[in-house]
Amino acid sequence: MALNQELYDAILNGDAKKARAATEAAIAAGVLPMALIQESMVPAMDEVGRLFESEEYFVPELLLAGRAMKVALELLKPLLAASGTKMAVRVVIGTVKGDLHDIGKNIVASMLEGSGFEVIDLGTDVSPENFVTAVVERKPHVICMSALLTVTMPAMKLTIDALQTAGLRTQVKVLIGGAPVTHQYAKEIGADGYSENANGAVGLVKNLLAAEVA
Amino acid sequence: MFLRLAADGLSMPVGADLVLHEEPDPESVRNSGPALGRVIERTARRWNTPLAIPLMDLRLEKADLLARIGVSVQDADAFHFTAPLDAATLATLCDGKAGSSCPGGTARDEALQYIASIPDLFPVGMAIGPFSLVTRLMADPIAAAAMAGRGQAPEDSDEVRLLFQCLQAAEAAIHRSVRSQIAHGARAIMICEPAANTSFLSPRQLKAGSSIFERLVMEPNLRLKAVLDSSACDLIFHDCGELIDPMVEAFAHRLHPVILSLGGSRKLWEDARLVPGDVVLYGNLPTKSFYSDGAMPIEEVIRRTRELLTNMKACGHPHILGSECDVLSVPDARETILKKVDAMMSVTAPSIPH
Repeated sequence: MALNQELYDAILNGDAKKARAATEAAIAAGVLPMALIQESMVPAMDEVGRLFESEEYFVPELLLAGRAMKVALELLKPLLAASGTKMAVRVVIGTVKGDLHDIGKNIVASMLEGSGFEVIDLGTDVSPENFVTAVVERKPHVICMSALLTVTMPAMKLTIDALQTAGLRTQVKVLIGGAPVTHQYAKEIGADGYSENANGAVGLVKNLLAAEVA
Repeated sequence: MFLRLAADGLSMPVGADLVLHEEPDPESVRNSGPALGRVIERTARRWNTPLAIPLMDLRLEKADLLARIGVSVQDADAFHFTAPLDAATLATLCDGKAGSSCPGGTARDEALQYIASIPDLFPVGMAIGPFSLVTRLMADPIAAAAMAGRGQAPEDSDEVRLLFQCLQAAEAAIHRSVRSQIAHGARAIMICEPAANTSFLSPRQLKAGSSIFERLVMEPNLRLKAVLDSSACDLIFHDCGELIDPMVEAFAHRLHPVILSLGGSRKLWEDARLVPGDVVLYGNLPTKSFYSDGAMPIEEVIRRTRELLTNMKACGHPHILGSECDVLSVPDARETILKKVDAMMSVTAPSIPH
């Protein structure tokens, strides 16, 4: 059983108000932030992911759960910072140059945060140069790039090439996604992985990083 | 007419963007009515169809709407409302008076006027659907729709309140757009609702009895259909998103378009049982993946086209072979895409032995 059933249920049911209340109560009761994250919040998002894979939950449920989780996380972040605790994995995410679509990217970011990763969201219309700068300055383990249009997809390859030119390609895993993107395209442009949905992206990040450690 | 075109074996992609990018300066042509009209004419001639389907530019209604509150065309794409609108702003957005169009909207209308002057071409207009426009006006439409789907009322939530305000504004914008296109000669309008799908509207909520699909998609589109009907203008309804069967049924039976255009995730021969016999099904090869020979080799394009034509002939439902959506010209993949579109169009329906 999760440590905090109220928080677990609030996230599972996508209830941001109850997530806030449960988190505030837990903090007041002296529960350690990382324990809340690892024993209540991440298991809740894992269950949300399982329900999505089994087609009982859909994107709207994913999004509401992600928002509830984010509300809880925002309350915990100052406490984590004060104690010097850092998330083990850092992910930079953005929609590529020329593309303003962000809904899919936002869902992936929510799911990654819900899984306990630190997520730096660069927003939309992110140039290859800005991805490179983010890698230099923030030193992420993973970059996630999103594109919703076939005409903007080429920016994914340009970004990978820019990382190569800057001597950074081997320092970071690159994952891509978005409606027109395919596994084949990921291979063609030298990405490390592709996911067709947000839940898959989380699994992919975990698998890629586990493979590195092994 | 549309049933006859289907019976005659018409096949055509939504291909104006491909032809547009044969121009030396596509962006200038996009904003020049007569030049755009000639592109649309060439598109129809290229694929030997009387249906002059325009560019699927679904940004125009948003640009025209936001221009009313001083947002420039350049800023319109990235602009989202983030808080409920005050009464004055909402009134301005919903004002029924025609305002000045953005250059793209003016070009669209002038191009229609050009096409309408050509006797053997059927001028088709294009507009984004009300719900899809709402999703472009808000930063987080999915959450707002999901909260509304759970029963949260506008009085209970700023996001839900904004959702329904945006719907009001979107409807007004699209009605203005459609009226202008009809005034410039459109005899059918292709209403594009790509966001009316299971990513934005939860099947779980719909199965539990939520009215959100009705309130956000069907009701505004039925009102739009009434506008078209009052001008004897036909409805072509396009939704390339992931759908569930009740959505297809609702579009087909209740909107009763002359043509229903669906995305590559649907099997049209199975959808035929959901659609009245006088609604032509259009599509639906997965042209969004034509850019990649790895993902969609030409042999697979031909195989899928044959499968689609064979199965549609077997089920006997009126069908026009085409693309799942607008076929975009992608830099560095243009020839690959064109080759596959041409291959698709060259496959003919096999005879079914009696």
